[in-house]
Amino acid sequence: MTSVQTKLYSDDASLVVVLIDVNPYFWATAASGVGGGVNHSSATIPFAKFLNSMIAFLNSLTLLNQSNQVVLIATGINSCGYIYDSGTKGSEGSGKVMEVSSEILRRLEEFVDRDKKLGKLQGMAVGSNVSSLVSGSLSLALCYIQRVFRSGAIHPQPRILCLQASPDGPEQYVAIMNAIFSAQRSMVPIDSCVVGMQNSAFLQQASYITGGVYLKPPQLDGLFEYLASVFATDLQSRNFLHLPKPAGVDFRASCFCHKKTIDMGYVCSVCLSIFCKHHKKCSTCGSEFNHVPQNPNSASNLKS
Amino acid sequence: MPQVRIVAKNFMDMVAALPAMKLDKLYESTFICEAVLRYLPPLAKKYALQMLFIESPVTAKSMEEWVLPEALSKHRVATDRLLQLRVFLEIGDRKKEASYKMNPTFQRSMQKYLVQGGTLPREPMPLSVTNRLPTLEDLEAYANKQWECFLLQLINSSQAERLTNFSTSMIKVFQRGILSSRENEAPRLTENGFQFLLMDTNAQLWYIIREYITSSEDRGVDPTDLISFLLELSFHTLGEAYSMNSLTDVQSKAIKDLADLGLVKLQQGRKESWFIPTKLVTNLSVSLSDSSSRKQGFVMVETNFRIYAYSTLKLHSEILKLFSRIEYQLPNLIVGAITKESLYAAFENGITAEQIISFLKQNAHPRVAERVPAVPENVTDQIRLWETDRNRIEMILSHLYEDFPSKEVFEAASDYARELGGLLWEDSKKMRLIVNGELHQQMRDFLRRPK
Repeated sequence: MTSVQTKLYSDDASLVVVLIDVNPYFWATAASGVGGGVNHSSATIPFAKFLNSMIAFLNSLTLLNQSNQVVLIATGINSCGYIYDSGTKGSEGSGKVMEVSSEILRRLEEFVDRDKKLGKLQGMAVGSNVSSLVSGSLSLALCYIQRVFRSGAIHPQPRILCLQASPDGPEQYVAIMNAIFSAQRSMVPIDSCVVGMQNSAFLQQASYITGGVYLKPPQLDGLFEYLASVFATDLQSRNFLHLPKPAGVDFRASCFCHKKTIDMGYVCSVCLSIFCKHHKKCSTCGSEFNHVPQNPNSASNLKS
Repeated sequence: MPQVRIVAKNFMDMVAALPAMKLDKLYESTFICEAVLRYLPPLAKKYALQMLFIESPVTAKSMEEWVLPEALSKHRVATDRLLQLRVFLEIGDRKKEASYKMNPTFQRSMQKYLVQGGTLPREPMPLSVTNRLPTLEDLEAYANKQWECFLLQLINSSQAERLTNFSTSMIKVFQRGILSSRENEAPRLTENGFQFLLMDTNAQLWYIIREYITSSEDRGVDPTDLISFLLELSFHTLGEAYSMNSLTDVQSKAIKDLADLGLVKLQQGRKESWFIPTKLVTNLSVSLSDSSSRKQGFVMVETNFRIYAYSTLKLHSEILKLFSRIEYQLPNLIVGAITKESLYAAFENGITAEQIISFLKQNAHPRVAERVPAVPENVTDQIRLWETDRNRIEMILSHLYEDFPSKEVFEAASDYARELGGLLWEDSKKMRLIVNGELHQQMRDFLRRPK
């Protein structure tokens, strides 16, 4: 930890890694309004509008401080990739907002195409509830930040903003938790803004553990306003402001065997792996469980 | 160095001091809005962004709810700043409830920026016209040389080998705050002057620019034009060539001066002439707290109070001379020693120990900069000790009370003074006491009170 603490941070310069969800299944339903009902009209937002707000938000971040840096990572369903990095070129291209947004759009398009092909290759089952690869993009973001940490003594203060739309994928539980803990260790807050239908238990935990802000905007029409007033705040100013507090965090874990989100389960006493059913042997560390509980449902939190 | 902040503030104060009409006119340029926005304290920046798309006024009360109660003072500073710079306008209400609204001109420019981006009034010239442009390294070397030459001339007008084109009167203007020139006496650096030399380049630059702008009115130039031109320049692309024909009269006059400072490099082609912005000018809009423009250090301090400075620059030896005794100078090395006498001379001139230490730390040679601490502890401690040596006596303005009519009155008075926390000394035998001067009025009222 010492290596991180002795780092010199310049005042309010920040490095924001923005992860955007480009899950085509979700955005297709959002566009067609399959969600139905009158209630959903303000609960969903067309992808074009979402992109507009996001690009304006990126621009405003680079506007606030010359040394602010923005990195955009797209989260697809099969892969994730860097879309835009304000630090590499045109860093003084303040007059090139138009070019930046058209570049983002072009690269996003390429990315979605590539992502689609990958999906066909693997012959994935297609359903409407396909989740995005958040764990992958979180890891990419953390790798990028680690590189910045190593680049020199003076660098902008990093944080991650996760714009998620599609529902959580319980099969990514372990990967996401690992990413969260590594973010916590390097003191990188993960902010999350959920624009989908349901709250995301993963991101709630991510923000809670890393000290970021979790927000599910009730009115998606004003998405930019939410982004600008909550997520554009640099880490130093956050100490002085009223920011959205988590109402309740869903701490439920996914089991390692069937990747289901569970309320109650079995925990390996050696490696703390979680299972929804009793096993003879831990699949993670190989410890043998010789004691068989009589009635698994009567006890609250059984350890095997 | 606290001084740096003061300089930065002063420049924005200058912008804030412009008449409202002119300021609003300035805000029509997206670049000026951008530069102003970047200068705001972080909290104010955030407010400005938050209000960007809100057109109706927001009451001061609801704005106060944005911050935590303990940070209210920060909130005040931020909103005051926004009001001073007319980014926010105050709208008085009949019911005496103040509310704020964003300056519509500023708001429009910023919204336009976010959606379309800004456009500079001039495009870089094509390579076909300019042929070969200097490389970025050349440009930086040029800028540094020009700037150092200027500084040397500033502190020591007679010794500069290559004079810049500044007229003596201009140099006088710059020297105003830095040198004190009493008649029949060699000019001496003032306290501010020393502090100026110890600042980093960006802060020094702003100081000079500020002087340049304040003196512009005497030369018949509107400061508003200069400010907007400078801020605009800072958004030009480093190392690109821009045609001189695109400048107005005022601007082309100013750019010659800026070239002398190393902010731009002027070049003459066959038909046209152009200017190339250097790092100094593109860094102008960077906030001063940012240290990315820091130069490589050159000073090594040893535990035996010896200073080795690997530098060929005369300026550096001049600066080191301020607080150390130069022992010998080789072509690329200056060797000096920090002595009690040299430091006392520095303290005499108003330099503080902290400034010297931070100068040594900031300019530490890369070899020693890796070490923690970069300057040996015994040296920094000793510098601080020598400084406190000078401050052994504390002066408190106070009053002596004597000739009390009775012991009771004396005791009541001394108790009263003790209660107020202002009793400095008492002599009960002779019935005398000395009380902090600030409490004199209260003491007098107490003593006059009928018993």
